Amino acid sequence: MDKALMLQVVLWLPLAGTALLLLMPASAADAIRRLALWTMLLQFALVVLLYVSFDAGVGGLQFATRLPWIPEWGVAFSIGLDGYNVLLVLLTGFLGPIVVAGSFSAISKDVKLFYAMVFLIQFAMMGTFVAQDLFVFYLFWETMLIPMFLMIGIWGGERRIYATIKFVLYTAFGSILMLAAVIYLVLVAQQAGGAASFAFADLYKVKVPIDAQLWLFAAFGLSFAIKVPMVPLHTWLPDAHVEAPTTGSVILAGVLLKMGTYGFIKLGFPLFPDATSYFTPLIMALSVASIVIGACLALVQDDIKKIIAYSSISHLGYVMLGLISLNLIGIQGAIVQMVSHGLTAAGLFLMIGMIYERCHTRDLAAYGGLARALPVYSVAFMVLTLASIGLPTTSGFTGEFLVLLGAFNAGWAQHVQGDSAALYWAVGAVLGVVLGALYMLRFAARFLFGAMKVPHGPVADLVPREKAILAALIAAVFWLGLFPDEPMRKTEFAAREYQQLVQTSRVPGVAAAQAATPVSGTKP
Amino acid sequence: MNWDAFLVGMVPEHFLLGGIVLVITHSILFPQGRGAAAITFAVVFVAAVSALGLGLDGYRGEPFVAQLAVDPFASFGKAVALVLALPVLLLAREEHGDGGPLYPLILSSLYGMALMLGSESFLTLFLGLELMSLPVYALVLLGSRRAFSAEAALKYVVLGGAATATLLMGISLLYGHSGSLALGIFARALASPQPMAVTGAVMVLLAFFLKGAVVPFHTWAPDAYEGATVSMTAYMAAIIKAGVLLAALRLFGDAVLSRPMVQLLALLPLVSIAWGNLAAMRQDNLRRMMAYSSIAHAGYLYLAFLGAGPGRFQSVLFYLLAYGAMTVLAFTVVPAHADDRRRDQLEQLKGLFHRRPYAAIVIGLAMLSLAGIPPLPGFVAKFLIFREVMAAGYTLYAVLGLVGSYLGIYFYLRVIQYMFMSPQPTTLAGEAPARGSALLASLLCLAPALLVAIFPGSLLARL
Repeated sequence: MDKALMLQVVLWLPLAGTALLLLMPASAADAIRRLALWTMLLQFALVVLLYVSFDAGVGGLQFATRLPWIPEWGVAFSIGLDGYNVLLVLLTGFLGPIVVAGSFSAISKDVKLFYAMVFLIQFAMMGTFVAQDLFVFYLFWETMLIPMFLMIGIWGGERRIYATIKFVLYTAFGSILMLAAVIYLVLVAQQAGGAASFAFADLYKVKVPIDAQLWLFAAFGLSFAIKVPMVPLHTWLPDAHVEAPTTGSVILAGVLLKMGTYGFIKLGFPLFPDATSYFTPLIMALSVASIVIGACLALVQDDIKKIIAYSSISHLGYVMLGLISLNLIGIQGAIVQMVSHGLTAAGLFLMIGMIYERCHTRDLAAYGGLARALPVYSVAFMVLTLASIGLPTTSGFTGEFLVLLGAFNAGWAQHVQGDSAALYWAVGAVLGVVLGALYMLRFAARFLFGAMKVPHGPVADLVPREKAILAALIAAVFWLGLFPDEPMRKTEFAAREYQQLVQTSRVPGVAAAQAATPVSGTKP
Repeated sequence: MNWDAFLVGMVPEHFLLGGIVLVITHSILFPQGRGAAAITFAVVFVAAVSALGLGLDGYRGEPFVAQLAVDPFASFGKAVALVLALPVLLLAREEHGDGGPLYPLILSSLYGMALMLGSESFLTLFLGLELMSLPVYALVLLGSRRAFSAEAALKYVVLGGAATATLLMGISLLYGHSGSLALGIFARALASPQPMAVTGAVMVLLAFFLKGAVVPFHTWAPDAYEGATVSMTAYMAAIIKAGVLLAALRLFGDAVLSRPMVQLLALLPLVSIAWGNLAAMRQDNLRRMMAYSSIAHAGYLYLAFLGAGPGRFQSVLFYLLAYGAMTVLAFTVVPAHADDRRRDQLEQLKGLFHRRPYAAIVIGLAMLSLAGIPPLPGFVAKFLIFREVMAAGYTLYAVLGLVGSYLGIYFYLRVIQYMFMSPQPTTLAGEAPARGSALLASLLCLAPALLVAIFPGSLLARL
């Protein structure tokens, strides 16, 4: 099959799955589950094929499709794989069947609607990553909101309505401002260049005056920072995570949060390089604040789901730090860290779901000594915990280490020139690693060891379905930890392009020779 | 009189007029007979198709020189309004039965709108506007099952009368200033420094704000919407609003706005957006909520007048189609209830998904589209409007309007929350069984809406 067509199939498959679901009787719950699983497995298989045939030796788009859609506005339905999204598409495809298989026993209410929502979310996330046109990107970005709203609101916990409305109102606020910025940006492009176009490649070339850049970056950045989420815009996340069903948490932590960081690397920073350089100190500070504050908050939680929720904030702080360091190693580390966090957080949320199904409580104090009661569970839990901390040979190590290396390299280069701020932030980020080990080990120690406490026990250890899910996740964690070379090569061209885009000034009138000079002195 | 344009260009009007005669004759010949609904539906359908054909053909003519013109603008406007009337007629048949005064009244109202959309002078504009509005006062009262309807109709009549008086006063001032009744004098008066001309123009504009339910002239809308039958609420919300907005659009032409006019034209719609959305949050009655929602949507629509050139027409027409189709769509599938008062309570929608999944999903789609959430047609429509406003250079107003639209998200989502997230018994006492024609009516709304959502480009290219 033609590879571009295959990418189309990957994108549309979940939507086709939704249509199939609608035709099935609501009572055939098992058949619906099987259909959902097979659709996702098929999608993953196609994604793997695409990943394998993705050529690391060339830059730019691969397997691209571009169909004119609304020619009057310059909107084209344009999708494709590049170094930015190839790993995230792989992650999304990988988590698809895991999400479905992980919800077999947990979801018994409105099964048909549930899997329809899972499909729609998968469709929207995949679309957000592969879109190469700003209008199409925005459509997918926003489409994701509604199925997630329903998923938390219908299958969530006690305070689900509060949590889901908070989630939507937070995200929608960012999106509305982003919409204003999208319209403005395209109008600027139109006035400067003539033809209207929403294509990313065209928008990268648009010269935007510095004051407009600052506003536009603020609008895009706010929207992405809410999604990541960065401190202090993170308060929706713990509520959403705690009230969401396990599947919702897995999707949120696994893929959805990466839409925010992906937005920054693909749009926020490269579209507005001068504004980025103006805001760099702020972003660096907020990244480190996210790392440290997220870790500190995780340290004091009693709800096991909240620990992982806050740890997500901390881990995504590394991603932001790596991206803003503009150091090649740091950028690639950030991309790996996105995938790594997707794997470990998804795995940990799944495991919390598994224990919650058995013991019906998320209170950390209620548990203890699970290592003796549930040996298989405990081993898997420990492995994922260590991967989350960043133990060498696991994916977490690759990501965090490279990000810190990149941050130090960049910080040192600036330190030599007399500006030590970046170096201090990098040192601050290292503190996060220590805190990360502290909260995860505190959690694991109380949870797995000590006096045996099993609420509603005795309970059975993992069933084969759960073992298979966790085995797949752990295998992926080690794959990325032991052989990071091959996936990282696929991101290299994109990382270089990103670095070059963000370092080139795009204020009209500034000559190319001055391009590298930061414009941080300019006031809006 | 221009016979060729009269015979060809006014085909939609001729069909509507013929329909009125036919329906009245039918009701005299067969007082108990059935079939008036079918005749009306067929007539409106044929009129819609012919208007669409004239529009796509780009037909231009002037049946009555300097009074009535046929151009793509008028034809497309008529087509949109008549297409939206089709599902409303299906709904009306369920509520009002197959016969009676309803059908000639609706046809007269549509006929008036068709004349208004083609008007070239204030004379025809006023004639059309009144012919469109007067039957609606009666329609609000028609089929009423409670005393409240009479109050609602009275409010509507009084405020409609106030609008008429304001409009006439404005027209007289404009006539006194320029000595002409051509529509073009309005656009000239907008830019004029003469106090008399400006006063006249502002009065005309305020009359249109009142008819379109823009804050602070909106108070009639919630009562009128709640007092009427559901089908007539849909008729007012979608079709009358479309008529008023399109007439205002015709009035503006390609007018260049002076600075104070821009402020007037931005301020009231923006307040309308914010107030409509905020007040809608407090409603526990579905139709009052929809009334406030329509007040907010009137705000978006009038905001689009800040745009210049052909984009103004495109964005307003597109928005009217998306908004009208989705508003009618929501009304088509709302379950009927034996107790007229209770059917409107939002509480009635609780757990609807488990009783009637199709109805819940359809209402949900309508709400999301009205909230402007992609990929539904409401989003593209909203995008188009704010793009026009920004392209005209009013970035601040566009951003304020978008932030105002954000305020609306909550109450639309609340409807979805009630339908999907509240456990309720699978049957509800007093709830009427699902109507067969509701399915057809909802499909009549969904088809054009989805068409413009998926292929907005092909529509825009033809406007």
